[in-house]
Amino acid sequence: MGILVDKNSKVIVQGMTGREGASHSRAMKEFGTQVVAGVTPGKGGQDFEGWPVFNSVAEAKSATGANVSIIFVPPAGAADAVLEAAHAGIPLIILITEGVPTVDMMRAVQEVKALDEHSRAHGGEGVRLIGGNCPGLVTNAEAKVGIMPNKIYATPGRIGLISRSGTLTYEAAKLLNDAGMGTSTTVGIGGDPVIGTTFADVLPLFEADPDTDAVVVIGEIGGADEEAAAEYIKTSMKKPVVAFISGRSAPKGKRMGHAGAIIMGDVGTPESKLAAFQAANVPVADTMPEIIDLVKQALNK
Amino acid sequence: MKLHEYQGKDILRQFGVNVQDGKVARTPDEVRQVAREYGQPVVVKAQVHVGGRGKAGGVKFSPTEDKAFENGEKILGMDIKGLTVNKVLVTRAVDIDAGTEYYVGMIVDRNVQSYTLMASAEGGMEIEEVAAATPEKIIKHRVDPVTGLRPYEARDVAIKAGFKGNLNKIADMMVKMSEAAFARDAVLVEINPLFVGPDGVPVALDTKFEVDDNAMYRHRDLADWRELEAEHPLEIEASKYGFAYVKLDGNVGVLGNGAGIVMTSLDVVNRAGAKPANFLDIGGGAKAEIVYNAVKLVSKDTDVKAIFINIFGGITRADEVAKGVIQALNDGILTKPVRMRIAGTAEDEAKALLAEVNSPLIQMYPTMFEAADEAAREANAASQGSK
Repeated sequence: MGILVDKNSKVIVQGMTGREGASHSRAMKEFGTQVVAGVTPGKGGQDFEGWPVFNSVAEAKSATGANVSIIFVPPAGAADAVLEAAHAGIPLIILITEGVPTVDMMRAVQEVKALDEHSRAHGGEGVRLIGGNCPGLVTNAEAKVGIMPNKIYATPGRIGLISRSGTLTYEAAKLLNDAGMGTSTTVGIGGDPVIGTTFADVLPLFEADPDTDAVVVIGEIGGADEEAAAEYIKTSMKKPVVAFISGRSAPKGKRMGHAGAIIMGDVGTPESKLAAFQAANVPVADTMPEIIDLVKQALNK
Repeated sequence: MKLHEYQGKDILRQFGVNVQDGKVARTPDEVRQVAREYGQPVVVKAQVHVGGRGKAGGVKFSPTEDKAFENGEKILGMDIKGLTVNKVLVTRAVDIDAGTEYYVGMIVDRNVQSYTLMASAEGGMEIEEVAAATPEKIIKHRVDPVTGLRPYEARDVAIKAGFKGNLNKIADMMVKMSEAAFARDAVLVEINPLFVGPDGVPVALDTKFEVDDNAMYRHRDLADWRELEAEHPLEIEASKYGFAYVKLDGNVGVLGNGAGIVMTSLDVVNRAGAKPANFLDIGGGAKAEIVYNAVKLVSKDTDVKAIFINIFGGITRADEVAKGVIQALNDGILTKPVRMRIAGTAEDEAKALLAEVNSPLIQMYPTMFEAADEAAREANAASQGSK
């Protein structure tokens, strides 16, 4: 089971006919995900490796009943693709694209949030954007809507995983697998400064999920998402949470790849994140393998 | 991309911000020329992409033409934090004591998923210092990304920050700065000091402007402003290959696939008792050639005594990584020990390739900790030896 996606999710791929879109559509299908159609403006009516291709998200949705969209559109059109999906009534949108201008993301995220509120106020199911610059999400042995390696998500597990970093998501999932625990759903929220969904947005879903026993949060320096997550855990969460913070030795003021991973003044320092997690009784692993010990301890309590 | 002060001022001027006059000079004679044209006194300011120019002696008040020439001689060619000053900005001097210095700036703020406008009556200082010592003196306001900053909001912020002077004109300057930020995809824009003279009219005396690298495709005119000589040579080479690369001051070259894993690799190298010489993210799905270029780049850094490669292959194939490293060895580019941890896709194929080569220079380890320990040990031993 897990959260957000399962074997009943019907997925369309915006940008399916591009290089990345094509190879990941295949990998998602191999995983067992119900990929139902592609969207590439100008290629509507064509067939792509057995999938129907549509000119717009709205057409794809009405023809297939899709309820999830994954986006592999290049940066210049990525925010527009998000808004197209949101306005077409797709409730879950995953933006994989890396390098989208931040100003575009600010506007898209704000509009998606407004649509979400409007939808919920009128009895709809809302709109959620995950990413950009994220690896997507996967519910073990059910559905992958992302770019993670299939192998490490093949068997069902009961640990929820949320991460700002793509590669560390794989690392943590493999560690949990090897330890015989496995993950329920893994959500890569993305490392960009402006993203659709944060740790604090995902935690309530895991808290409510009967198939998740504990949650691992993989954070990094910069921003205050980890602090916000700690606040939510402290006030509203009963399930155990274990954290890891990447980049603790990074020099101040240097930007390490992600635009998000930069320390500004005292906000986003490893110390402030450690203190926040401590205050919420969330153990923080010093190394990634230590995550396993901490999860075991938390589950045995 | 960071812009020079004079370039940031040009942009703000285009958006209607009242900016202090200034001209760029490349020789002491040109400095004298501008000083003559403006009349004295003037200020000569080094144009380099680092903070703390003033403290380093890169900003000098010049009461006479001769003094301006002399200061031009001193500052041009000067080294500030490893960067040579090739240009100065010569501006008219302002009698700071006759007015007040304020700070205004806008920064991408992930906590509000938009820009945050910041204003403080503590102008003229580094805002980081103000934030650290007296955070309550910085007024913050989320700017709506759809509507932009509106005049009443700007006035409200100015009032809360304790600004005195012509509030409409000060607010107008903030609104125009905000328009420039959105239109030019700023990551950061600052006016510091924003000087308000006895007439109550604001003028931008100094600015910082940094453009979102992801948006450079729609600012091709600004790309021409990029000065390669103002950047670290290895960083220029890295940008050619599309790597995220940061030069650090240790002895272990660090590379991996993804910002997160490279940051964690830095942590692991530190735990192993050495210091990283760089941060290098080869990105996702790297082929052998990319890895080859990454190894070449890191090998060129004379500070690097050993290389730690940390890969978790998803899209990236371990055998491609191994092939790239082996190619570098065969071409004689690789002369320093490489200690790697490669997990994930095609891990067994990578092991087989390395076994075939059987070189002491390239070793694979089952965990990132063992690989980092070995790289740290090799690097520290080599550093000891070279002392």
